[in-house]
Amino acid sequence: MNEIIIDKEINSKLQILADAAKYDVACTSSGSDRRGKKGYLGNSVSCGICHTFASDGRCVSLLKILMTNCCVYDCKYCINRVSNDVPRATFTPDEICKVTTEFYKRNYIEGLFLSSGVLKNPTYTMEKMYETLFLLRNKYKFNGYIHVKVIPGVSEDILSAIGFLADRISVNLELPTAESLKKLAPNKNFQTIMKPMEQITGTIASNRLAIGKDARMERSGINRYLTNNIFNDSKRIETSSKLPSVVTKEKVNRKFAPAGQSTQMIIGATDETDFNLIKTTQYLYQTYDLKRVFYSAYIPLNEDSELPALGTAPPLLREHRLYQADWLLRYYGFQYNELLSEEKPFFNERIDPKCDWALRHLGDFPVEVQTASFDLLLRVPGVGPKSAMRIVNSRRYGRLDFSHLKKMGVVLKRAHYFITCNGKMMYNTPIEEQYITRQLIADSGKENWQVKHQNEDNRQMSLFEDFGVVG
Amino acid sequence: MKIFYCDDRFEDMMTCIYDAWCYALKEGHDNVRLTRQRDSQENMFDEYVYVTADKDKVVKVTRSIERDISRYAFMQVFYATLSNEEDALDAIYRYLIIGFKVGERVSQMLNDAAVMRMMEIKRKVGNEAHFFREFVRFSSIKLNSKNASNSYEEYYIAHIEPKCNIVNLLGNHFADRMPSENWCIVDDNRKYAVIHPKDEEYYFQYLTDREYDILHQSEEYEDEYTSLWKTFFNAIGIKERANYRCQRNMIPIWMRKHAVEFME
Repeated sequence: MNEIIIDKEINSKLQILADAAKYDVACTSSGSDRRGKKGYLGNSVSCGICHTFASDGRCVSLLKILMTNCCVYDCKYCINRVSNDVPRATFTPDEICKVTTEFYKRNYIEGLFLSSGVLKNPTYTMEKMYETLFLLRNKYKFNGYIHVKVIPGVSEDILSAIGFLADRISVNLELPTAESLKKLAPNKNFQTIMKPMEQITGTIASNRLAIGKDARMERSGINRYLTNNIFNDSKRIETSSKLPSVVTKEKVNRKFAPAGQSTQMIIGATDETDFNLIKTTQYLYQTYDLKRVFYSAYIPLNEDSELPALGTAPPLLREHRLYQADWLLRYYGFQYNELLSEEKPFFNERIDPKCDWALRHLGDFPVEVQTASFDLLLRVPGVGPKSAMRIVNSRRYGRLDFSHLKKMGVVLKRAHYFITCNGKMMYNTPIEEQYITRQLIADSGKENWQVKHQNEDNRQMSLFEDFGVVG
Repeated sequence: MKIFYCDDRFEDMMTCIYDAWCYALKEGHDNVRLTRQRDSQENMFDEYVYVTADKDKVVKVTRSIERDISRYAFMQVFYATLSNEEDALDAIYRYLIIGFKVGERVSQMLNDAAVMRMMEIKRKVGNEAHFFREFVRFSSIKLNSKNASNSYEEYYIAHIEPKCNIVNLLGNHFADRMPSENWCIVDDNRKYAVIHPKDEEYYFQYLTDREYDILHQSEEYEDEYTSLWKTFFNAIGIKERANYRCQRNMIPIWMRKHAVEFME
């Protein structure tokens, strides 16, 4: 074994390959619960653990790197496309393993997120990635979290083998329709993305059935109490389309992708509507049983006539609204068609989707916290799964008032227009769409502005620095 | 009013609850107060009683909580003893008064002020413990092995300065995670540490000044992976999305004290 020496070279490789990987959104370490083992390093906690927060406020929980940023593809939106002149680097499998385990021991990270540019062809690249994961699990005895990105077009055998080493697998959908994909990613096609996704779903389901679990992934427990939740009326998962089982010399004593599958879509590079995106999202949750769908606000990196111009601000507020809607699907029992419709295909920029829904259904409000059903309570703006649970548990033992609600975590600023406590509203406010909309917009104005302008530097102008006046 | 006070240790606090309860059986619960520090400004009408740990009383109190209320309630009480809130001990006492009256369902009766206070205190301790599970940073030191003089062993040492005494809640997590490493987490303010020798059980210990000084050296020594981690940390942020306000919300500045990526 050749000793890995931490030197300048590794440092500059890490600089290049972390920089190239930063546009990938998923950095979660959740969904997998695994105890540690003597002689091994690491465990996995189902709630996920963030280890630090980067300058953009996003959580860093995994060592997110590309194996290489050399790529034979020429996707228009991507910084690493073959026609770009950027510094290139490639990690060897041993280097990745060493850095991962040493970072892990210092509690810097929760595991590894491995993606890659395409070397020669997808299968060759994924073979290299497989080699890395194999070493990490077997030679370096790493038992922590691994998220691996699938390169569309990879051979089924490699995909099948790699799934038993990773916790989560993801295939990037990139764009929600075949047309936009064709326009922006000429080397990829919808078929090669959907097929592995479908096969992974089938393999996860049959693997789960084989170990005595339900075919579908576990979802937040809150969904048990929600009659209208999207996971209720999901179709049966087809286990017929699955990956071929691979016979290896080593006994595989692992589950196939226990933390499930995820994907991501780019927002704002093409002209899809929010309605399309949220509909696709629900479809993916129901049909492919994805654990998460991520959105990434498009940041212009390349000059191209098909794309927004360089310097266009990334649609951060739109991305924020989509994530809010995604949460409403997974934790609040909403369906996509309750939030948007063909006639109203975009989210309101000024008001969050839940408030927006409530304002369109003022007839159902105000609700009485003492008696309202759990479903309806959770639909009140300002009430979340935790506070709704606290309300229904404690109201059996006595009356609640607004100060109780506040301490339970209800955001009264938004909630007080929609609830009554013991028959009384908090203030004397009319249940009137115009009035409440105005109030809510005034309240959320600052928040929205902050999301939209988060990257702007709000320092005071300086006579000396900005205008070159020499003091 | 009689004021029972004790040191900031679990056993002392449980004993304090026992003694206060005995007194209150005669005089009523409203006539006792419990605290962990003697008030700086004493009231001339109050009587102060200092309590020290008594093993039998500790067993009686903890056993009764588990048996007559619930396991969960005991967990809440334990978390509350780690809290830095001034009224934590008194809050436990008030919570137990209702707990012994109504039993298991006490933990859900949030419309009672005492129960609500307990929930808040427990939540604060739990959240802080979770933060430090995330933000503890180990650095490795190579020390000569006990067995052979020419070989060395690696030790992973972390320093933290939490508000609540949450070192107690970190042991399990890291023991499961790194069972075959030597590691140790030191609470710099309380000089209290959890120590885990390779492949053995972990234990807690109050440190002597000499031990503390030796362990403190790990902060001065530059770990070879620290600079690599800083490189990664700086590369992973997206310039176009810079959002320092969000970053400060997620990892408040007082928690960054020992997080190496925020050090110069």
